[in-house]
Amino acid sequence: MGDRMLTALDPAYVRLLRLNGALAGAALIAAAFAAEIIFGGRLGLARGMLAAPAVVGFLYLALLSPGRRYRAWGYAMDGEALHVGHGVLTQVHTIVPLARVQHIDVSQGPLERALALSRLVLHTAGTQHSQIVLPGLRRETAEAMREAIRGRMAREEE
Amino acid sequence: MSAAVADRRLHPGTILLRFIKEAPPAVLALPASLGFASRAGLEKVLWIAAAIAAALLVLKWVAWRRFRYGAGESEIVIESGILSRNRRTIPFDRVQDVDVERTFLARLFGLARVRIETGAGGKDEGLLDSVSLAEATRLREAVRAFHAGAPAPETLSQRPPAGRLLYALGLRRLLVFGLFSFSLFYIAGFFAVLQSVDGLLPFDIYDPARWTGLIGDYLPARFTASAIAVVLFLAIMLGVVAGVVRTVARDFGFRLVVEGSRFRREHGLFTRREAVIPRRRVQLAGVDTGPMRKLFGWSGLWFQTLGAGSERSGRQAAAPFADSGEIAAVLAEAGPYRLPPPPALAMVSRRHILRSVGGKILPLAVLIVAAALRWPQALLLLLFLPLFAASVAVERHFHRYALDGDLLCVTRGAWRQRLWMVPLGNVQALSLSREPLQRRLGLATLSIDTAGAPVLKGPRIVDLRNGDAEALAARISLYASGRKSGTDR
Repeated sequence: MGDRMLTALDPAYVRLLRLNGALAGAALIAAAFAAEIIFGGRLGLARGMLAAPAVVGFLYLALLSPGRRYRAWGYAMDGEALHVGHGVLTQVHTIVPLARVQHIDVSQGPLERALALSRLVLHTAGTQHSQIVLPGLRRETAEAMREAIRGRMAREEE
Repeated sequence: MSAAVADRRLHPGTILLRFIKEAPPAVLALPASLGFASRAGLEKVLWIAAAIAAALLVLKWVAWRRFRYGAGESEIVIESGILSRNRRTIPFDRVQDVDVERTFLARLFGLARVRIETGAGGKDEGLLDSVSLAEATRLREAVRAFHAGAPAPETLSQRPPAGRLLYALGLRRLLVFGLFSFSLFYIAGFFAVLQSVDGLLPFDIYDPARWTGLIGDYLPARFTASAIAVVLFLAIMLGVVAGVVRTVARDFGFRLVVEGSRFRREHGLFTRREAVIPRRRVQLAGVDTGPMRKLFGWSGLWFQTLGAGSERSGRQAAAPFADSGEIAAVLAEAGPYRLPPPPALAMVSRRHILRSVGGKILPLAVLIVAAALRWPQALLLLLFLPLFAASVAVERHFHRYALDGDLLCVTRGAWRQRLWMVPLGNVQALSLSREPLQRRLGLATLSIDTAGAPVLKGPRIVDLRNGDAEALAARISLYASGRKSGTDR
């Protein structure tokens, strides 16, 4: 909620976003160059008419967007619920009552492993938010949160 | 207890039944399109059709041969698969109920489709398609005998021998319901047919310019206003008749019976459907109505359930056409549901209208003006914008919410009026979202996620004031995570 202070993700997550952005941007540039070589002559495009916007896209994805996305993320956990905020343009604040969690994953992709980051995934029985993903946590943090949530789930089952 | 042996096959009539069901696309459509594409002669196409029909028949026969099932004392086994074999065992104490469904075609053959409900949420976890009616009854009795004899867990053992009728749809009211189910869809269909008939209407009816007051100048003299009126009248009559026919076929003899902790529902004229809705599977209740139906005091009640029943969407009609007294009676049996008193419902923020103006109407106006630079007639479209704004204001009037103890009520829609009733214990997650314009106006949209909901059509409260949204979210979250757990446990 607005007045609730959300904890920021681990700063290493910016690097992960940058890496992912750079990879996507590089793919974009490669595609633009390929398109220029194949169709450029036929359509009478000047050199760089596709590549230049692609380079701008690369700069945005790799440099500008990661910081904004990182700052939009945040989480908070009180005894009863996990709050997750994200979204640059449309800001979304999701609240998951811990008693409603069906099971929890802590997962790590290859890039995340290199940066010692983990993702916490909560599964609920809902449809729209059947998975709530909280990325960019240090592994210890993610595991501690998992244990805390598991304790809440277990109490509810009794 | 001895293990069950898969020693029975489905009724041989199944082969023919499935063949008839699948024949039209495979035997008719495919060769027809082949013939059309390759310009082959009629004879060749007929040969292809015959070959496909034979192959299909053999395939159905093999599938029938390879499908076996058997019911033991305490479980049912199903072996299926043409190449890879699959053996599935369903213990009786996991079976919620045995649903029997009879399509029109199946009734001609004296067959019935048996669906064994276990509550796992899978679509065809135990589907026997099809067996003879006697066999279907035998299976159902076997399951019931097991639950009656054994001190079975859960709800089944508490079932009283006979249910209590909660709601029945009589023939007269069914016909009235049919009249209200008049659908514009059929009018569109009618116009589509008209349009495809060459030369009948020498203009494109989907051209918006015709509908903005330009009809007169273009029409030849013989297409007078009266001719158009006749066509419209015919289309409307067709819509009415189609609505009645569809409604009668679907909801003839609709009955809702309560049996202990579950509802049993049957309906249908040609296809007779029977289904069970366990009460604890009900996640939320909804009431649908429209301006005309509301005037006469009619509305329809449905439940959203978690993976039960024979309808895929998880939305189960409970009383499709009922007055508010009948709906209240069914709701009282369903759990913590009650119709909210109208004054309890609050409207969303007035800035909801402002957001529509800023987010939709202004851009549209800019677009129209830009288009008018090329086509000056487009300026006429500007006349529609005030109407659009008025409709937004009307929609807001119908978009209300109330938190009544442990029950959240949300209403939405001026034309299709829907009321959701969500027990807070069934809320799985909630989210507040704010688009840029909403942030500027201090608004937020609250979405409530429940189990078994359709992905996009769950209850949402659009454009609450920030403070209200946060207070509401905090209250719901507190309740949903509290010790008072919902009806699903």
